[in-house]
Amino acid sequence: MINESFNATDEIALVRAALDGNKNAFGEIVERYRKMVARTVKGMLGDSVYTEDIGQEVFIKLYNSLSDFRGDSKLSTYIQRIAVNLTLNEIKRRKRFFSMFSQTGNHEMYEFDVPDHETHEKRDARELVEKALQALDSKFRVIVTMRMLQGYSTKETAEILDLPLGTVLSRLSRAQVQLKDILKKL
Amino acid sequence: MKFSEIKKLMIDSLGNNPEYGESVRKLEEAGISYDFSEGFAGRVLNKIFSADVVVAKQIELSRYLNLAFSRIAITGVAAIVMLLISIFLMEGDLSFNSIIGISDSQTESIVCLLSGN
Repeated sequence: MINESFNATDEIALVRAALDGNKNAFGEIVERYRKMVARTVKGMLGDSVYTEDIGQEVFIKLYNSLSDFRGDSKLSTYIQRIAVNLTLNEIKRRKRFFSMFSQTGNHEMYEFDVPDHETHEKRDARELVEKALQALDSKFRVIVTMRMLQGYSTKETAEILDLPLGTVLSRLSRAQVQLKDILKKL
Repeated sequence: MKFSEIKKLMIDSLGNNPEYGESVRKLEEAGISYDFSEGFAGRVLNKIFSADVVVAKQIELSRYLNLAFSRIAITGVAAIVMLLISIFLMEGDLSFNSIIGISDSQTESIVCLLSGN
């Protein structure tokens, strides 16, 4: 548990304090960015019971590579890159796993981890979005997650995914077409 | 919110119009929001800071191994250099024959030596 809150508003100051071994400073970073990481990981993998492990791994990797953060980009961008890379690795791992056991291949393991307080309407809405996202190709899913769940602009998405702006624009447009097709069937 | 409205918002959020941010906000209002379970930050911190001791020991071990390796490597290089110097002083050159110790032997004598005649 985090016993005291850390008041630094400046990201660099927070990072420096965390690097100096201040547990509360790193706790503050986790608190600030956990929803953002959850949107990426759960958006791309589905709201599975395993996504929390990936989320924890994101912050552990962040802690281990914090000394490499020079402040050239925003801390959120840096964290987002780690989250996207780890999630894409997990998608690949799952694909390999299922291809070993299934000839049809394209199954992904996800169970809905539904909070108790959620209303039926909201639950149904989340299920609809998750089904649609899971049905998308993974290269489109990551773009759609960045845009639809995180609200990033095309330029920000390109920066996070380290892709040319043109590629992001073309994938967004193709993803929109694929998403329309998927939503027609749901 | 109706399913048809959510579907429209999803499609609109991918569009190039500057209003896509509004679609994102509306989707969040409709319940499309994500978070990890309660106590997530505490669990992350426990994992990181309890693992610190193990990591520190691993770092210490690799530092010792590096130090031992560099000492062995330096001693080995020094021995090789001394051997080459002594060969050069005794034989007068550093040819392959002088290194393997047959510099002053004639080919015939080696054949005799090996065949026993």
